[in-house]
Amino acid sequence: MNYTRQEMMAIAAGREIYAGEMAIFGVGLSMLAGHFAKRNHAFGIKDLTEGGVYGATPVGGLPWGIEDNRISANATSFTHCIDALGMMVASGRCDVGIIGAAQIDKYGNVNTTGLWEEPANPAYLPPKTRLSGSGGAPEITCSCKRYIIMAAHEKKRFVEKVDYISSPGYLSGGDARARYNFHGGGPALIVTTLGIMRPEPVTNEFILTGYYHSSSIEEIKENTGWDLKVAPDVQLVPEPSPRELENLRAVDQTGMLRKKG
Amino acid sequence: MPNKLLSMQEAVAQYTWDGMQYAHGASLSVGPDSVAFGREMVRQGRKNLHVMSHCCGQQLNLLCAAGAVDRVETAFSGLEVYGFPYGLRRAVESGRTIVEDYSNLNFSLRLLAGAMNWPFCPAVSGYGSDQEWRSAFSPEEYPCDKKIPEVMDPFTGKTCHVLSPLKPDVAAIHVTMADPDGNAIMLGTEWNRYELSRAAKKVVLQADLIVDTACMRQYPNLVRIPDVVVDAVVYWPLGVWPQCSTGLYDSDEEHMYYMNNAMKTPEGFDEYKQKYIDSYHTIDEYLAVIGKGKINKLQDTATWHLMDPYRKWIMSSEEIVKLMDGR
Repeated sequence: MNYTRQEMMAIAAGREIYAGEMAIFGVGLSMLAGHFAKRNHAFGIKDLTEGGVYGATPVGGLPWGIEDNRISANATSFTHCIDALGMMVASGRCDVGIIGAAQIDKYGNVNTTGLWEEPANPAYLPPKTRLSGSGGAPEITCSCKRYIIMAAHEKKRFVEKVDYISSPGYLSGGDARARYNFHGGGPALIVTTLGIMRPEPVTNEFILTGYYHSSSIEEIKENTGWDLKVAPDVQLVPEPSPRELENLRAVDQTGMLRKKG
Repeated sequence: MPNKLLSMQEAVAQYTWDGMQYAHGASLSVGPDSVAFGREMVRQGRKNLHVMSHCCGQQLNLLCAAGAVDRVETAFSGLEVYGFPYGLRRAVESGRTIVEDYSNLNFSLRLLAGAMNWPFCPAVSGYGSDQEWRSAFSPEEYPCDKKIPEVMDPFTGKTCHVLSPLKPDVAAIHVTMADPDGNAIMLGTEWNRYELSRAAKKVVLQADLIVDTACMRQYPNLVRIPDVVVDAVVYWPLGVWPQCSTGLYDSDEEHMYYMNNAMKTPEGFDEYKQKYIDSYHTIDEYLAVIGKGKINKLQDTATWHLMDPYRKWIMSSEEIVKLMDGR
């Protein structure tokens, strides 16, 4: 079957969204994965954007932003940040979210703020590369009951320690997160272009639990910047079904996921 | 009682100054922001700004590329699917502009705290991370305990993180339509424009359309910005371009990329300024710069139906000019 690694990633992430859930999807590929799920199997999900677009299905392809006209065209309600990101997400009410990441470490901490020459320097100097900032991802990571991190699997992205924690995962591992009284339980899984990782109980270190027909355990280990452990019951993730691909491509009308990979 | 209509040039001259705390947008990055107001600030050469920018979009990209910004407080500085803003990047990576980061909700809560005149506001997310421990405004302090400090919750005895209020000197807020007194309706999500309009000391509205007050009397529930918090109203159609204004026009894909690429270098910025800022003075000239063909294409939006209830109250440019002359 002919599909890209990005499409496999979006489908694998979408499979983790279930019918009837309240769900929030970030900008870009997360939104495609979420709306694929909504169309394919997660019927009756209550999805919203952090700006408060409710009940909408994108038209004409991937929206350019979470407040773009492509998603504002058929909403049932428009509200605002304190409502959607605050009362629905930060309050702990939202079941599941999907976020992206520029850098991810083994405890699922995410950096989308910047890259530094000397990240460990106690003085906060200008970044070598300014990224986009966190947006509403900290609300999703602190407060959604569970969430999915989606990212292209590259060694420079999957690092031992992120340069900056924009959105907290399990912090230094174990129960480090507990002292902050967050409403949310932490990252449930990381879905990449090569496979799936889930936290090991107790340590909360992410380990490999799934690989694709298009990848291998060796390839995933080679492209991970920490010594990635492999779960004893690691599984081969089923390929996209024809119906899944059809539904994904109906959402991804402009072919964002077919561009490369 | 005179109406609050002002020309763009007058509004920027009267309500902005060097070194001010300026807030814009409070919409999302490719959404309805007061981009035309930012263009006029660049034309008038404003500098040393402290910008409260949620979320930056092309306006902050442009102001940073112009070297006009010392400090930024933000939660998101990307252009969403359009990529990273190169003008902002250049300013931040060189150390010219420093950026203090918060989460999206915490930025909104800071505006709410400003609007409510609260001393501080509790946070339930966006701490326990470098957003708490790293401060661009206190760069030597690590871990920083001033930015999102921990206090004791007097009711439970548990620790609680708190945020400081934001009270910008002036906010330039884009709205879909305003009446001549400053009652405004926003189509699409309002993001933080409601809180910002109460947090700022002065508020200037940039409106795509001016409508008769009868429209507001028909839909008072939808008037989330009432005239009492508004100081001036600027009529500027297509004022969000190249970003989108819900109900009226889509984002201009070609110009979004073109503009951002121009911001990469000082030369690119100069050329952009000459072509797309210095080249117009009037609304008609501005629209001519965008081009009739392009405008028709952008107005072919899937959100057009959202405007249906309001069309009968839209005032013509002749009527607006008359109101402005009558002041």
